[in-house]
Amino acid sequence: MALALTAGLSAQQPSSPYTVDVDYHTLDNGLKVVLSRDTTAPVAVVAVYYNIGFRIEPRDRTGFAHLFEHMMFQGSEHLGKNQFISLVMSNGGVLNGSTRFDYTNYFQVVPAHTVETMLWAEADRMWGLNITEENLTNQQGVVKNEVRVNVLNQPYGGFPWLTLPQVANTNWYNAHNFYGALDDLDAATLDDVRSFFKTYYSPSNAVVVVRGDIDKAQTLEWIRTYFGGIPRADVPPLPDISEPRQEEEKRVEQEDPLATRPALAIGYHHPERNTPEYFAMGLIDQILVQGNDSRLYQALVQEKGLTGDVTGGANVLLGNMFNINGPTLWTAFLFHDAETSADDIIAAFDAQIERLRTSPVSAEELQRALTKRRSSLYAETEQFLGFGAVDLLASYALFDDDPSMINRLEPRFAEVTPELILETAREYLRPTNRTILIVKPGKKGDAQ
Amino acid sequence: MKAARWILTAVAALTVATAAQAQTPFPSSPPAPATPKDFTVPEATRFTLDNGLRVTLVPYGSVPRSNVVLVVNAGNVFEHANEVWLADLVGELMMEGTATRSATAVSEEAATMGGSVTVGVGADNATVAADALAEHTAAMVRLVADVATRPAMPESELPRLKADLLRNLSIARSTPQQIALERFRSTMYVDHSYGRLFPTDDMLQGYTVAQARDYYARTFGPARARLYVAGSFDVAAVEAAVREAFSGWQGAPTATAPTPNPFTERAIHIVDRPGAPQTTIIIGLPTIDPSHEDYVPLVVTNALLGGSFMSRITRNIREDKGYTYSPGSQISSRYRDAYWAQNADVTTADTGASLKEIFYEIDRLQSEPPSVDELEGVRNYVAGNFVLQNSSRVGIINQLSLLDFHGLPTSYLSDYVSKVHAVTPEKVQEIARKYIQDDKAIIVLVGDRKIIEEQVKDFGPIK
Repeated sequence: MALALTAGLSAQQPSSPYTVDVDYHTLDNGLKVVLSRDTTAPVAVVAVYYNIGFRIEPRDRTGFAHLFEHMMFQGSEHLGKNQFISLVMSNGGVLNGSTRFDYTNYFQVVPAHTVETMLWAEADRMWGLNITEENLTNQQGVVKNEVRVNVLNQPYGGFPWLTLPQVANTNWYNAHNFYGALDDLDAATLDDVRSFFKTYYSPSNAVVVVRGDIDKAQTLEWIRTYFGGIPRADVPPLPDISEPRQEEEKRVEQEDPLATRPALAIGYHHPERNTPEYFAMGLIDQILVQGNDSRLYQALVQEKGLTGDVTGGANVLLGNMFNINGPTLWTAFLFHDAETSADDIIAAFDAQIERLRTSPVSAEELQRALTKRRSSLYAETEQFLGFGAVDLLASYALFDDDPSMINRLEPRFAEVTPELILETAREYLRPTNRTILIVKPGKKGDAQ
Repeated sequence: MKAARWILTAVAALTVATAAQAQTPFPSSPPAPATPKDFTVPEATRFTLDNGLRVTLVPYGSVPRSNVVLVVNAGNVFEHANEVWLADLVGELMMEGTATRSATAVSEEAATMGGSVTVGVGADNATVAADALAEHTAAMVRLVADVATRPAMPESELPRLKADLLRNLSIARSTPQQIALERFRSTMYVDHSYGRLFPTDDMLQGYTVAQARDYYARTFGPARARLYVAGSFDVAAVEAAVREAFSGWQGAPTATAPTPNPFTERAIHIVDRPGAPQTTIIIGLPTIDPSHEDYVPLVVTNALLGGSFMSRITRNIREDKGYTYSPGSQISSRYRDAYWAQNADVTTADTGASLKEIFYEIDRLQSEPPSVDELEGVRNYVAGNFVLQNSSRVGIINQLSLLDFHGLPTSYLSDYVSKVHAVTPEKVQEIARKYIQDDKAIIVLVGDRKIIEEQVKDFGPIK
């Protein structure tokens, strides 16, 4: 018996805690640098994150932060249009950029021996852009087609990642159309581009992260060589992006002429970053909506058959709970049939929410939530050949000035007690803290 | 400065970089890359069980997680014409518990291991795929075996699962890219399951559990399956778990699905979507599959023509004209079958102009070989991308299962990079002429017919 027990335990023994290598520096011009060695494969990720997202863009220029991201590929002092892209790809790499609530990022996943080349190219565009009116017009066309393909010509386009924040939030910075109205995109000028670059694209407002099969000392030397001379600029202080405490439930109905089935999203304002409640909410997310064992899947899908799936999370479809700095929502959303009313679904949903707000979770369920949280944190770090780890390192460097926090998340989640889950659910899963967005199929109805 | 100048030999590059750094604070040309690090495809342990199940174990990676993937030759290809999506229904039913575990028990057990088990169905294969924290790899193998080999397929869940599939179908039929693909595939593959993308509502409504169980019985079996495990684990322990969990599996013998006889003809197929702000375009034709000796040169040609961000078509219709956001061409392969297709969602007013530019780029490549410089960049991209594709657990499993499925030798992987670098400009031109014969391309347009018809009428007869 004792032997069997021992054998059973050793088979279940968790491997030693996984940590991400972190080396953190700040250059004289304020540029943050994170280096992380991982020799799994002869590849590396080179990324530059700027501490400016789409929350903060000129009020008469919705969508500008994202349009600007496109301009960063249109030419710098030593790399003409298309040449940045060719340089990365002809070295065997892939690249992208993206604009999110609180940052804009640019990254390359490359064979490890090309890191210096990539750093030179990223530095070149941090030194300055060199673009023409023609480049701007071209990218206005591209971005308008991006909005069309992802939103305007798509059933459920923008649901709920683009549409829900606009109705759930009250502060303009959190509640405007950050993909941009087409006429606002058209109104952008080269002066706007220059001014945005000058204001926000200073080395003191950025972090360079390199992770992979690298020599860290050598990589730091390259970064000093190419980025060290870029002059710093004073970045204006952030405007007030806070959201007031929500005191009444909001319910909004939108018609989607391209949709054939109703859809429903419910979003709650999320606890503030790095507080105990924030970590508790990270486990509530696992308990409620992550995986087919979750309470909402079990109740709404498995037992009642109200929908085929429930998707959810913090910063949903745009990131995760770690890579956002300002106010965000915890959201659950689903698609259903016209025969099932939104009220019936909300009632079934509320039964699960109220359970969490009235009785403590068992030790076993909490442990399962912790295991899932740990596993998905690992999954996030390894996403896209280590880009996921780079994303977290950049976020913790920019938002908290401490990229090593990536290795202190597991203990913070482990500290969460059933009582804290109960308290957090009572305050943050209040019906008065939420917005319900109902999408109704438009007049065209089923195409069939 | 020309892009291709950057691709220098290591020796010449070193000189350039040093000189540049000495002169100016910021060098005006990029430092050339160092010498590539060695890359080898990770070692695998392979064995076959007595019942015919072929197993591949690949210890890999530093993150303590593992993936377990069972690939079964049980995809939609074995459906009869009146059984469209029956395989999908089988997949859904397999998620509803086993002889000894309820669906909830399967989900909770997987979650306790930090993972999940899902069943997916594709054109040729069905997959039972799972992930877990590394210390649970062997236990996850056992759970996958239970889901794959002893599904309960309970009748009680049938109405709910059908309602879910009907909803998915309705949403798919309202999505322009899906509408375009359906028209394209049904035009190319007449009387073959590859051409039957969607069932009718009535067909789906009519399926019984008996039909689903029969489909499972005739398509699932160890001789038609391959198991892949990649991650951090003890090979001996996982091998023991595989043998214990799968050795008793009996099931359908191997079978070969009929290969299609694809039809293609230069004609325009318009699906009307009044008021659409964009036209969804597919231009495509049958081409060679991965078992053909010219396949790697075709991959390189595709990357140069439309299949990458640096490709000619993307530069033209996106970076020059601004007609579209995410154009791309690809080689889409099934068993001994493939087609090449260019996709793009373009502004409605630019539909005709987009067709003109896409055909211009195909014709240009057929009439003159690319420059050595341009091709060199593309070859480096394809070779580098191969390294990236083989540098993650899921990527490795995908590569190995692709090889196994198409019956390619493992030397395919070790020879891949040198084959890429052997492609000459003349070869690219030859490939474009032989395998991307655009005068035979099917053109599908999903958009506002009354606006686009006039724009496109010169590109082929409108069907």
